[in-house]
Amino acid sequence: MVNDFLTEGPVTRDIISAELSKLGSMTDSGGHSVFFGQVRADLSGVRRVKAIEYSAYGSMVVVEAEKIINKIRSEFEDVREVRIIHSAGIVMAGEISLFVLVSAGHRQQAMEACSKTVDLIKKSFPVWKKEIFEDNTHEWKQDYFA
Amino acid sequence: MNILVLFFGVLAEVTMTGSKHYTGVGSFGDLRLRVEDDFPEIAHYNYRIAVNNEIMNEEPVLKDGDEIAFMPPFAGG
Repeated sequence: MVNDFLTEGPVTRDIISAELSKLGSMTDSGGHSVFFGQVRADLSGVRRVKAIEYSAYGSMVVVEAEKIINKIRSEFEDVREVRIIHSAGIVMAGEISLFVLVSAGHRQQAMEACSKTVDLIKKSFPVWKKEIFEDNTHEWKQDYFA
Repeated sequence: MNILVLFFGVLAEVTMTGSKHYTGVGSFGDLRLRVEDDFPEIAHYNYRIAVNNEIMNEEPVLKDGDEIAFMPPFAGG
């Protein structure tokens, strides 16, 4: 891990397994909602995406992740835990680039809070993505101004 | 003032550097002029500024040792 919220390369099965293995100890939670963001082999004109290269402002990712978690916990009083792991570096099509896990006392807030967490990440995480195509050309994606 | 400037995303690519130290900086306006002079390519791109990991919505007052990030639109998630 680059820091608590960033991992170099894809979010691997080992990382996911390690996070899921913690759930058993959360005996005050009745529901866990998980989101996996995956690199999609999009077609841009005639070029197909083979990978995305993510770059991140690591120290600001930590600041923004903590703001998101605090906001989610204050808006959803039933939420017990929010876990965010985003990729930095190259992630191939079909691999996971974002992992979000929200645990709550009950399923409704777990699911709603997970969805809102993903929305907040997309708007405020200082992460940039460069689509790398099968012909080895690339294009920067630009989505949100903070 | 001594200021560290960081470039991210497409700006890191067009400037061909991730960072540059500036010395003798008087103000943010002064810094911006010097950065644009060193890297005229960035004038073609939209970007926001963060000072020490906080987005600035207006021109910041800088202090010695600040870290200024030039950030294009985010694309995380």
